[in-house]
Amino acid sequence: MATQPLRLTVGRPKQGPVGTIAETIKSVVHRRRLLLYLTIAKVRQDGGNSLLGNLWLVLDPAIQLAIYYFLVGMVLDRPQPAFALFLFSAILPWRWLSMALGGAANSVRVKDKVMRQIAFPHIVLPIASLSASSVSFLFGLLPLCCLYLIYPERLTPWVFSFPLIGVVQLLWMLPLAILFSALSVFFRDVSNILTHALRVTFYLSPALFSYDRILEILEERPPARLLLDLNPMAWILTAYRDIFYEGRSADWGALLGVALASIPFTLVSIYLFRRMAPSFPKVL
Amino acid sequence: MSAPHPISLKGAGVRYNMRLKRKRSVRKSVTKAARLDAQGYFWALRDITLEIQEGETVAVIGANGAGKSTLLLMLAGILEPDEGSVAVYGSISTLLHIGAGFDDELNAEENILLVGAFLGIPASIMKKRVPEILEFADIGDFASAEVRTYSSGMRARLGFSVATAVSPDVLLVDEVLSTGDASFRDKARARILDLMKKARAVVYVTHDLDSAASFCTRAIELEGGKIVADGPAKSVIAAYQAKMERKSKGSS
Repeated sequence: MATQPLRLTVGRPKQGPVGTIAETIKSVVHRRRLLLYLTIAKVRQDGGNSLLGNLWLVLDPAIQLAIYYFLVGMVLDRPQPAFALFLFSAILPWRWLSMALGGAANSVRVKDKVMRQIAFPHIVLPIASLSASSVSFLFGLLPLCCLYLIYPERLTPWVFSFPLIGVVQLLWMLPLAILFSALSVFFRDVSNILTHALRVTFYLSPALFSYDRILEILEERPPARLLLDLNPMAWILTAYRDIFYEGRSADWGALLGVALASIPFTLVSIYLFRRMAPSFPKVL
Repeated sequence: MSAPHPISLKGAGVRYNMRLKRKRSVRKSVTKAARLDAQGYFWALRDITLEIQEGETVAVIGANGAGKSTLLLMLAGILEPDEGSVAVYGSISTLLHIGAGFDDELNAEENILLVGAFLGIPASIMKKRVPEILEFADIGDFASAEVRTYSSGMRARLGFSVATAVSPDVLLVDEVLSTGDASFRDKARARILDLMKKARAVVYVTHDLDSAASFCTRAIELEGGKIVADGPAKSVIAAYQAKMERKSKGSS
């Protein structure tokens, strides 16, 4: 006979939205170790099997900077002062966005084997993918340091407020990562579409041009202007540019707005993910 | 109120939406079985009502595609029932496919911790088990090498050692006794029998009817996703064997 009553492990009764969200968050906190190990594995996997290994984490953004520097700076001939720094302040967060969403979109799908063998909260997969991309973001700060050797006059104490902007960006990417990871289980096309959507939004964001220049272009096209204002990434990019390039305080009010807006969005995405999760092992 | 049974299912069923399923071959083979309902769902299991009591070792037998593995997946909490209910009490270990959750870029010790984390075993317990797991897997100097450099036998041995490192309340086994070479197989068999003895309930899916008859207390026969026989292992298995014999005679 049982010496002590056993815990119910499988077959918890179904709950309403609030209960589902609370239980999912609890399960992620409970599996924080798994998150850590998955992140380490992902970072290593990105660097693995290549000659230079994790050096690519630094080289990739540097090379991307060089390409845009020559393309936009010389061919289109619209250089800002300290143009390399101007560009890099946008390339750095943008690379983070595209790696985070691209990686998350595949994160659940590639783990099909484990999902059919072990019961675990699947939502740790996109979250681990997101935190692995954050590691590459941090490595990208190395080329940024080198740029300040070239433009020392641009280095101000505001630079060190970047973790705050990073947290806002992370909060904003979290629901997107969760949703894309679930959708791409059912529709493989999600990652293809995502690649192109990211490219288009990159050119629509004040990444290669200054915000004012984009405003000039959009003056005669009000709907496009609205699109730009609704794009949280535009606010985030401008904030990075403020602290890294302009050497001034970011618009913290706008950032707070983005952060607060992403909380309900995140809760909804967790709920939708949890509702779709039982189908993952069946579809894959 | 008396203590709940380790496992109880009430009218449980699992269905697959065939429109979402990608693998063509699977789709073809199951449509042949004609178990699709009006909405185009394929019911891999239906109407399973079952109570497994403390101390029982239950063999699940039946032809390929009868729903044996789906039943294990549902008991493990990997598949949720689409109708009815499942309740399993106590910690669960599944010996389904060995090597689940390994990451090629990590070494043996890191993978042990990773799989432990997937299984939800506290890191403090798993860390203590690492030397013991490595020894049982017998992978020698490769312990510090990435798993991608392992032979398939080493991978299987490590997978088995990790999966059986912690003694569970409920043990779910899907024919894994064929891991590795002969000497490891004996060691593995001994360990599984040991885990079976310690567990409060065991569900064992197999085609090896003789071994099932020798150490299971009860047997369940599945056919077309439904339970068609349930009773003492020896009599259910004997009846099943007689049925199979009649069938093969009839077809030849």
